[in-house]
Formats: sequence, structure tokens, C-alpha cells
Amino acid sequence: MLSNIGNILLLSNVLIGALIIYYSFNCLKTSNNLVFKNIYQLSLIQSTLILSCFFTLVAAFLVSDFSLINVYQNSHSLKPVFYKISGTWGNHEGSLLLWVIILTVFSFLFLVLNKNHPKNYRLHTLIIQNLLILGFLFFILFNSNPFSIINPVPKEGLGLNPILQDPALAIHPPLLYVGFVGSSIYFSAAMASMVSNYNDRSFAKSIKGWVLISWVFQTLGIMVGSIWAYYELGWGGFWFWDPVENASLLPWFAMTALLHSLLVLEKRNALYFWTIILCLLTFTLSVTGTFLVRSGILNSVHTFANDPSRGIYILVFLSIMIITSVYFLFTRYKPETNHISGNSKETFVLINNWFMMFYLITVLLGTLYPIFTDVLFKSKISVGPPFYNSVIAPVVVFFLVFMAIGPQTKWIKNKFTNLKQLSIILGGALLTNFTIIFLFKSYSVISNLIIISSLFLIFSSFMDLFKKTKLNFARIISHLSFGFLIFFIGLNHNFTIEKDFNLKLGEEKVIDNYKFVLNDLELINQINYKAIIGKLRVKNMNTNEERTLKPEIRIYDNPQTLTYEASIKTNFFKDHYLTMSNIDRSEYYNVKFQEKPLMIWIWISVVMLSLGGFVSLFKNAKNN
Amino acid sequence: MRTKIIFTFLLINFYSYVASNETINENKIYKNLRCLVCQGQSISDSNSDFAVTLKLVVNDLIEKGKSEEEIYNFLSDKYGDWILYKPKFNLENLALWFLPYFVLFLGGLIILYIIRKKVKKT
Repeated sequence: MLSNIGNILLLSNVLIGALIIYYSFNCLKTSNNLVFKNIYQLSLIQSTLILSCFFTLVAAFLVSDFSLINVYQNSHSLKPVFYKISGTWGNHEGSLLLWVIILTVFSFLFLVLNKNHPKNYRLHTLIIQNLLILGFLFFILFNSNPFSIINPVPKEGLGLNPILQDPALAIHPPLLYVGFVGSSIYFSAAMASMVSNYNDRSFAKSIKGWVLISWVFQTLGIMVGSIWAYYELGWGGFWFWDPVENASLLPWFAMTALLHSLLVLEKRNALYFWTIILCLLTFTLSVTGTFLVRSGILNSVHTFANDPSRGIYILVFLSIMIITSVYFLFTRYKPETNHISGNSKETFVLINNWFMMFYLITVLLGTLYPIFTDVLFKSKISVGPPFYNSVIAPVVVFFLVFMAIGPQTKWIKNKFTNLKQLSIILGGALLTNFTIIFLFKSYSVISNLIIISSLFLIFSSFMDLFKKTKLNFARIISHLSFGFLIFFIGLNHNFTIEKDFNLKLGEEKVIDNYKFVLNDLELINQINYKAIIGKLRVKNMNTNEERTLKPEIRIYDNPQTLTYEASIKTNFFKDHYLTMSNIDRSEYYNVKFQEKPLMIWIWISVVMLSLGGFVSLFKNAKNN
Repeated sequence: MRTKIIFTFLLINFYSYVASNETINENKIYKNLRCLVCQGQSISDSNSDFAVTLKLVVNDLIEKGKSEEEIYNFLSDKYGDWILYKPKFNLENLALWFLPYFVLFLGGLIILYIIRKKVKKT
């Protein structure tokens, strides 16, 4: 029953998509600057239908309708309601439906909110966006239909993977999707801009808000995913350079570059083609990421059940996107006529883009290289954190310095009048770094340079707050919090303390200045799992600080899995992070303890970073 | 005067680094070794039997006075390059290590070109 409703809604969406394209072409032939009323109506119906389609699937999950394969494979009647709902997008088919929702809703909003831009440009955007929508709808219908039925109907579902039963995990996909699927709208707009010759600063104005929205959500989505990895995967780290994390980072680099080059297009009417390339690149990278993850080519913690036919479909879709983009770029290319002086804000924006491209290439290469060596040399290699850290870290130092100086410069032509101030800031940064070494311990050259340069950025952003000229709060907040982000990551990386040992019930262990006692083991029963909870007392003998941490070993029922839940105590100065695991044929437990300084500040910095984006978004909305 | 102060701090910053970086760090080595039976974890992050055994092997090799490099070579001969998170610096991985910096270099040239061209025109 729900399956039929879902399928009908999907099919009517295909029809409406086709109708919108048809009417848009008709409307293009008319000479006035008005968009047909029925295009607005169809677009609204399209959004309503796709949302209804999604809610139909949610309903199927809520009532545990196991006649749908998708529900059978990813849900269980005893699961808490919240995870029944989040299970809807916690799988390949359901998440594709979420893709199409964002494609469709953004398409509608773009049409409605850009009434002061020319008809041709808006309609072309709509047509291209609807082609994307149709592409994904066909993919859903023919290959990954969440409404496929199973016969005979099973009595019970297989359950959702327990590590996916988590609030942070449940909300991070929708956030990320608004981010990278949202970038589709400026992909379409960029194509439309080339087709309809709408290529000046008003084009920049029309997409700026959309770039900001997707950037803010992408940033938050990456953060929430990373928080989840931090407390759920039990390694104590928050970034693993896992292929899927990389896939979310690649569009973020492109978006960040775009955000900056858009300023040049808006203010100086220059870098038009470069901006277009970045628009196209962002969405292309989003689809590439999806391809890599869904096709199962890469080995990752996020593997959905894989199926090569999906990979082939997305690959064909991706190739068509790339070929059309490249075709339009080549046929419409005109050389730039605007002048860029070496010492100007424009140059510093280019420098931002330059570094973003470096990060992008490094991460892309690191993610794909194992595939190349496997195919070309038949050798399997791993590219992990030590590679990224050693390639990227030295470059970040220069990046941070440019990031501090760039905003001080002026458009068109700049003169450095504030060299004195910059050298004072540099002196301050060195002094602070020295104090850190003196108070704690020393660390490697690169770490030193990273700390110094991030302090340089932090101080100079602070100084900007006291300038007499008109303040650009959005920029100051974002640059300042990026400085803080790198600063806190640097300190966290260098001053994390790790202890790894075995302990049995009642035993006491002293390592350096820490004393650990395993006081108690408790067995509890929850709706969907059983757990052994350890009570571990940790005492820092230097400060006499005492804490009890309660790590868990969980045994989930559906499907049967063992997970280790970290116990984390957070305060403003540090996190205590502890995991416990059982050792086979032994009464001992393996305990991993970490003291991670300033952990919470990493998250706060990222929230502040995206706040800068929000501020800019509001300012942009007010101006238009 | 200011430059002198800055210079002094620079020196102190670097000496303090040199003084502390002599010992071999087993944790750094653990982090560079993939746990072959896990999904994307290093042996430092894993509690599996494999990880536990491999940590013992590494400790043993350190005690025998092997350098970091020698330990990696020993393990990759045994388990293949898949075990190293930081790929070796060899012909196969040449592009991996150099292409990022080549792009950085090229990007710099392009920016210089854009600026130069525009200056000549004006």
C-alpha cells in the first residue's frame, strides 16, 4: 500500500519535472520578462510531492511496514521511534530521496527568491536543475527504489547497525546534504549564466546567498559527523582522513574558494570564468564523493551495502555533467578584461583560492591514489593521517599568515602602511608560543610554526575589531575562529596524553602521575541492547583531581553486535576520554585513557566559523 | 631593537625543539600502522588481537635498537605496503608525494602571470 503511494508520487515527480522543462522552454520564446504563472505552481507542487513521497517512506519506517525491502533491511519493530525516523535516510535508497528533496526545494526557492534577475537566466537555471532532478529520480526508480516490495512479507526487520543509532549521526546527513546537494543550485546557475550571457556582478549577487547557505551547512555537517566519530568510534580522535570524511571535505574546499572569488566578481567584476569553474567544481566534487562512497570502490568506515550497478549509473551521470560543463566552458570562454594589481585584495583572494586548490588536490589525490596503484601496479597502499599531516601542515603555516594579512589590504591598489603593527603581532605570537613551550613541553618545528602562525592570525583578527573603519564582522568572526580552530587543534594534537593498560575488577594501577581503580562492573538491560558498565576512578596525583568514568561494552540485539562506548568527561580545559574492552579468555579488561586538552574549543571554533557565514548571509539578505 | 627581540624568540623557540626530539616515539609508529583486521583503524586505536600482537612486535624491534625506517621496512616486507599509513617514498608513489607541491608551484606561477599581464597592460 505505502509502496504504491510512494511509487506513484515518484512517477508524478518525473512528470512534473518534464512539464517544468517543457513550459520553461515555451516561456523562453516569449519576449516579455515574465515567468509563466504555471511554472511557479508546478514548482511548488513538485516540492510538495517529493516531500510527501519522503514522508510516505518515514511512515513506512514508523509503522514497520516490512513489505518494503528497505524497511526490512534497515529497521526493526523494537527500535526507538527516533531511530526509526532517522533510519529513513540512514541507508542508500532513503538518502537518495533526501538528495532529490534538496534538489527540488532549492530549485523552487531559487526561482521564487530571484525575481529581480532576468527571466532567461532564471529559466535556464530551472531547466538545468530539473535535468539534475530527473537524473536522480531515474536513478531512484530504476536502480535504488526505496519502495521496492518483498514477497513473502517478513515478520521482523534486520535492524539498523547499532553504531548508527546515535543522535549526532542521525542529524549529520541532512546537514551535509543541504551543504553539498545545495551546491547543485549554483551548478545550474553557473551553466545558465554561461548560456544566457548573464555574466557580471549581478550573477554573483544572485548566487552568493546560496553559496553561503551551503557552506554554513557543510561546515556544521562536517563538524557533527566529526563529533560523532569522536565519541562513537572510540579512538579518541575526531578526524581520520577516512575516504568519506575526505569526500565531504573536497566540496568544502571548493565552496570556500568560491565564497572568496565571488567577492572579487561582486566588487570588481573580475574572475568571472574562474568563479564559474568553482561553481561547477563544487557540485561535481559532491557527486564524485557520492560515487566513491556508494560504489564501494573505497574502503571506509561508512560503507553502505554496495552494489556495482549504482556506481556505474552515478559514473555515467557524473561524466555527462563533466563533459557538458567542459563543453560550455570552452565554447563560452572570453578572456578577462579587468586589471588585477599585484598588491591588492584581489591578489589575496587569488592566494586563498590557490591554497584551497592545493588542499583539494592533496586530499583528492590521497583518496584516489590507492585505486591507481591497485590498477597500475597491482600494489595495495594505504594513505592515512601521517601522509596528510606531513604534506599539508607546512603549507598551512603560510596560509594562516596570508589569511591574516589579506583582509588588511584594499581593493584595486593597496599600500602596506601597517608593517609596524604586523611585526608587533608577530612578536606577540612568538612570545606566546615560547610561553606555551616553557609551561608545558616543547614540540616539533612544524607544530611550533603552526601555533605561531595561528596566533598571528588570531591577534591580527582581534586588532581588526578596534579599527576605525567599517567593520566586516562576518569576515572577522570566520577568520578569527579559523585561527582558533588551528590553534586548538595544534595544542590538542601536541599535548594529548594517552595511557593503555589492562585491569581487572578491584585492581589498582599507577602510571606516571595517574592512579586508576576499576571499582565496579554493572550489567544493565535496555530496550535494544545489554551493557556492561565499568566504574573507573581516575586520580591525577599532582592535582588531586578525581573523576569516575563509566565506559560501556554494549551487546546489541538486532543485529547482534558488540560496541564499545567511550566515557567522556568534558570541561573547558580538557576532556577525559576512556574506553574499556573485554579480553578473550581473561578476567582482565583493556583500558585506554586519554587526556585531551581544550577539546571542546575545537567544536566551539567550528560553530563560530559557521556563525561568520550566518552573519554574512543575513547581511546579504538585508542588502538585496 | 624589535627585530632583535623577535630573532631571540625565534632562536629560543627552535632550540627548545631540538633538545627534546631525540627519542624514538612508539606511539608515532603505532599510528602509522594499519590494523589489518579492522575497518580503517591504526593499531594504536584498536584493541584487536592483531593490533596487540603487532604493538609487542614493534616494542621488541625498538628494544633491539632498530630505527623507525627499519621497523617500517621489516613490517611492509612481511605484510605489504598496505600496512603503512604513510606511503613509502618510491617511484610508484612519486606522483602522490610530488603532485600536490607541483600544483602549489604551478598555482603560484599562474597568479604571478595574471598579475604581471595586468600590470603591463596598464
